[in-house]
Amino acid sequence: MTAYTVYLEQLHAMLAAWSKEHQVYVPTAVEGGYFDFKPWREGVEIAFDYDLAYNTLKRYFLPPKEDLVVFDLAAKTAEMVFDAPKQLLFGVHPYDIRGINQLDQIMETGAPDQYYLHRRDATVVFGLTPMRVAETAFWSSMGAGEVDRGFDLFWTKTGPSTFLVEVGSMRGEKMLLAAGELTPASAGAREAARKAHLKIMEMGRSNALNFDWKQVPRLLDKCWNSPLWQKKAELCLACGSCNLVCPTCYCFDIREEADELLQKGVRFREWDGCMLTSFALVAGEHNFRAKALERYRHRYMRKGKYIYDRYGELGCIGCGRCVRACTTNIANPREVFNTLWEASQHED
Amino acid sequence: MKIKEFSAYLPRPATLKVKKELSELVTLFEFENDSGRPLMHKPGQFIMLSVYGVGEAPFSVSSAPIRESNNFELAVRKIGAVTGIMHDLKVGDKVGIRGPYGSFFPIQKFVGQDTLFIAGGLGYIPLRSLLHYQLKHRDEFGRIILLVGTRNPKERIFIDQLAELASGKDVEVLETVDVPDETWKGHCGVITTLIPKVRIDPDKTNVAMVGPPIMYKFCLGECLKIGIPSNRIYVSLERKMKCGLGKCGHCQINHLNACIEGPVFQYNQIESVEEAI
Ligand SMILES: Cc1cc2nc3c(=O)[nH]c(=O)nc-3n(C[C@H](O)[C@H](O)[C@H](O)COP(=O)(O)OP(=O)(O)OC[C@H]3O[C@@H](n4cnc5c(N)ncnc54)[C@H](O)[C@@H]3O)c2cc1C
Ligand code: SF4
Ligand code: SF4
Ligand code: FES
Repeated sequence: MTAYTVYLEQLHAMLAAWSKEHQVYVPTAVEGGYFDFKPWREGVEIAFDYDLAYNTLKRYFLPPKEDLVVFDLAAKTAEMVFDAPKQLLFGVHPYDIRGINQLDQIMETGAPDQYYLHRRDATVVFGLTPMRVAETAFWSSMGAGEVDRGFDLFWTKTGPSTFLVEVGSMRGEKMLLAAGELTPASAGAREAARKAHLKIMEMGRSNALNFDWKQVPRLLDKCWNSPLWQKKAELCLACGSCNLVCPTCYCFDIREEADELLQKGVRFREWDGCMLTSFALVAGEHNFRAKALERYRHRYMRKGKYIYDRYGELGCIGCGRCVRACTTNIANPREVFNTLWEASQHED
Repeated sequence: MKIKEFSAYLPRPATLKVKKELSELVTLFEFENDSGRPLMHKPGQFIMLSVYGVGEAPFSVSSAPIRESNNFELAVRKIGAVTGIMHDLKVGDKVGIRGPYGSFFPIQKFVGQDTLFIAGGLGYIPLRSLLHYQLKHRDEFGRIILLVGTRNPKERIFIDQLAELASGKDVEVLETVDVPDETWKGHCGVITTLIPKVRIDPDKTNVAMVGPPIMYKFCLGECLKIGIPSNRIYVSLERKMKCGLGKCGHCQINHLNACIEGPVFQYNQIESVEEAI
């Protein structure tokens, strides 16, 4: 990969230049010791060492609410609506890029989701090697610590004011070099970036899956009747927080509204979650997953098996957001998979 | 990435042509595609129908696939927002449609063979598409046996058509109701009780079965018992559906999407899928 060395003092001018065409979002400290992506403006401090963005970045491609079709109710006609603002996400961690890549795959499969693809295409992604690991994260053991596609540039902080910037796309390189030529990265700089990466992977291992993540799908094959599901589900509030914060949860509801005069209407989609009781509820009050156990199990089966069986990768990238979001402390794929693994070892 | 100015969510206009009450809650609708083109559905597939400003819902196409006509039929039970407003539509009103979507009964596999139709309640609606196709091409198919079960006589649908079929030679019709009333002179009991009554050749019979979840539990076992292997049994599974495109997640049955791999499944495909039946 082509790589350049960039100095911190060059970055500011770059951000200002990128902001002319794109809405730039950067990781920044928010209340409670957390971090989140916010619009970059003059004076916004970038948290290069953020551990985890509180909210998932899927909102930039799959907004919580998105219009699909507008109606003229008098003429009974419908028209599609697309909105895809030009945006730049600066500082996305590898596991989150993995999450985005997975959504890409899902949205491109079958009938391509043009709404998602429009937004994705209009979004520039600049990756960043993490410098800290969130307490709840376990991506390092989920095969999600590395990423080789899905970004335009990839940044690694190699010194107090130096970055190694790897090129992921022509679009990225053009944006990087817009203000003038840069020094190609030396072998030493590349080595420093490699070390930074190894260091963070090592740090990530303190909170890990106890076995090879590739075993998860076959493990779950045997766990349909595990008592764990009921034990956990008993405490579930069906609040759907674990769905909302998850970068790879993408399910949505479709609804519509009409104005008071019944002239115009709009059909939109809105995030939904399989942990909500209404998710599989149909007219006539029949619920295809009425029990908390069924909903809880379904979510973990999707994360550990169903997605894998369809797309060849786990549906959980180990970001640890759901672990943080669950008020009753039951949302925790690492713990669930480890417990099931432990139990399966005693069976054989 | 292929980006197109195209939305799979954009409905196409269709016009209501005929409306006919089938029972207190179920109405038959015949729509015409404004595009001037036939729907090109296959038996067992569904469409998403929009009443603008109210919502969108999935419905099985009940008419046979006919290339010469731009019209198609749905039979809809009034149960919620969309189905409720549909019953207020007048001839000439416009709706929006998307689709057809989903899997279907593989007609070729039924050719030259006998078919045992098992229709519970509204299950007759999607089966009717396959049945009418077979009747239109009667010589290509063997025996057609139709079992119909309804909760009570008041909820029976397509009564005249069933009577006509029963009096003709093309179809062997057996009907039952779970709970009879004073008007009912026919068979009583759940639909499972009809299965042992028909003499079939399990080696050349395919089953097409559609009904409520509870019906599958009992009828599938009964079919296996009379010797029909699971790869000759076709069922249609209903789930909540919002997109019909394999994206929204509502129709998931374990790893399957009922809107893509279904609604029609060969029973052996889902025998070991925990949440299916
Ligand atoms: C493949 C398929 C074929 C169907 N074929 C027929 C048919 O031929 N005739 C018929 O009368 N009914 C059929 N149904 C059921 C029909 O879709 C529901 O009765 C209908 O969605 C209820 O919508 P509503 O707006 O009136 O009810 P509401 O309770 O107001 O539902 C709101 C929305 O939830 C979803 N929803 C609710 N119930 C169901 C359900 N049972 N299945 C799927 N989505 C649901 C729909 O998107 C609906 O618009 C079929 C369902 C499926 C999945
Ligand atoms: S399941 Fe939890 S840990 Fe896994 S990707 Fe989703 S939010 Fe992150
Ligand atoms: S966040 Fe926790 S309590 Fe809420 S739905 Fe998820 S598992 Fe249940
Ligand atoms: S209806 Fe949306 S995924 Fe099947």
